[in-house]
Amino acid sequence: MRSSMKTPVSVLRLPRGPDPNSRGFDPNSPRFVALCPTTVPSSSSSSSGSADEEEQRLRAELRERFLRTLLLMTGKRVRFDMHEHVRVHARFGASDIDVLTLQVSDLETPLGVQREALLRCQDVIACSFEAREGARSVATV
Amino acid sequence: KGLRLFVSCHPFWSPVSMAMRQTPLTCSGHTRPVVDLAFSGITPYGYFLISACKDGKPMLRQGDTGDWIGTFLGHKGAVWGATLNKEATKAATAAADFTAKVWDAVTGDEVLTLAHKHIVKSVNFTEDSNCLLTGGNDKVLRIYDLGKPEAEPQEIAGHTSAIKKALWCNNDQHILSAAEDKTIRLWDKNTKEAVKTLSFDASVSSMEYIPDGEILVITYGRTIAFYSAHSLDLIKAVDAPASIHSASLHPEKDFFVAGGDDFKLYKYDYSTKDEMESYKGHFGPIHCVRFSPDGELYASGSEDGTLRLWQTAVGKTYGLWKCVLPEELSSENSEALYCPPAEIKA
Repeated sequence: MRSSMKTPVSVLRLPRGPDPNSRGFDPNSPRFVALCPTTVPSSSSSSSGSADEEEQRLRAELRERFLRTLLLMTGKRVRFDMHEHVRVHARFGASDIDVLTLQVSDLETPLGVQREALLRCQDVIACSFEAREGARSVATV
Repeated sequence: KGLRLFVSCHPFWSPVSMAMRQTPLTCSGHTRPVVDLAFSGITPYGYFLISACKDGKPMLRQGDTGDWIGTFLGHKGAVWGATLNKEATKAATAAADFTAKVWDAVTGDEVLTLAHKHIVKSVNFTEDSNCLLTGGNDKVLRIYDLGKPEAEPQEIAGHTSAIKKALWCNNDQHILSAAEDKTIRLWDKNTKEAVKTLSFDASVSSMEYIPDGEILVITYGRTIAFYSAHSLDLIKAVDAPASIHSASLHPEKDFFVAGGDDFKLYKYDYSTKDEMESYKGHFGPIHCVRFSPDGELYASGSEDGTLRLWQTAVGKTYGLWKCVLPEELSSENSEALYCPPAEIKA
């Protein structure tokens, strides 16, 4: 009887839950900005800045190449080499923004052909496909 | 604008003696049981909380609000243990995929994967964050130098069953380990010898080390016991109404909290050993409970897949909890406050 007389403590709101679209760790949070200095050099950088600039340029180039490979792969039949000696073929659809999951169709598995499927990138070692007749491209994920 | 505060028809006999009922804050997001949790120290950005879950996706949260910050993605199996360093810049996790992983706790990136020969159950950083202690089902304690990750870890063997928990203590000069062989062993990290062994009738369910005062909190069966971390002498022990899986001592050593099989959280007075309060809220057994570094709240993780935050001083304004005076409750100018309805049994 006594406990039902007590008023429950009020709260301003409930704790925020996870964002379904990202793994979090907001790069705009004060902690991130303070503890993770950006690798993009400022205009007043010293001579060591040019080494950073070169690294940044190379990284940007590699990233662009990777993204273009993904675009080229779209709609094509791709061979996925995965952990535990798994090798499957499927038609590549798209990747999510963080490149964590790959959307594929007509996935050929030992159990049959899966019309639509999602492949976890962490399970994929490499993908290969024919960019054009006779030319095979390999991308390591 | 916002939620209108629901005001019950209770008369307020006296504002001073009005007792408040605990409102736990539920942190959702995990999809399977939460088996371990740990707080960081107090940093310039507050303090943080990491939770280990059988869904393989440990999460980082802001410690005083429970707000989700990020999920550490990479493990391929249930995560059994998780810890943060004092500054909350590094995290470590122990998993059923036979690896322990070290993470950058600011970016969420995986920094290191340490392969083991069996399920890893426990991870613990030294005070300076330079070494990581791991323990698990292969019965061997391992010490990794995080400055030389390719180097082989130092190994300490001796336990005859799976290690459940391993902690640094006594200025990182000793290691405390609890295993399924029903022993707790204190090891000298330099000689790798067991300095002292405690044997129990039942397997120890949890262990907490309090550096300030060098107290060890151990739970087994229905007992919550406090030992000196140096001598492993018993200080005191308390029996709870149900089997206890985890307990935590308040930083100021005035209370301790415990939870286990009956889904309830118990709060005890440390000096008198009296049970002060018990709280319902979880829908499954409680696997882990820890006080925050400032002692203002404690967090519990349960089989029901949730983490809950509980106030130490019920009714105090802290984090998301707001102290509301009786006059404010009926005021037209009250902020949009969320007043939870009476408990509804599932």
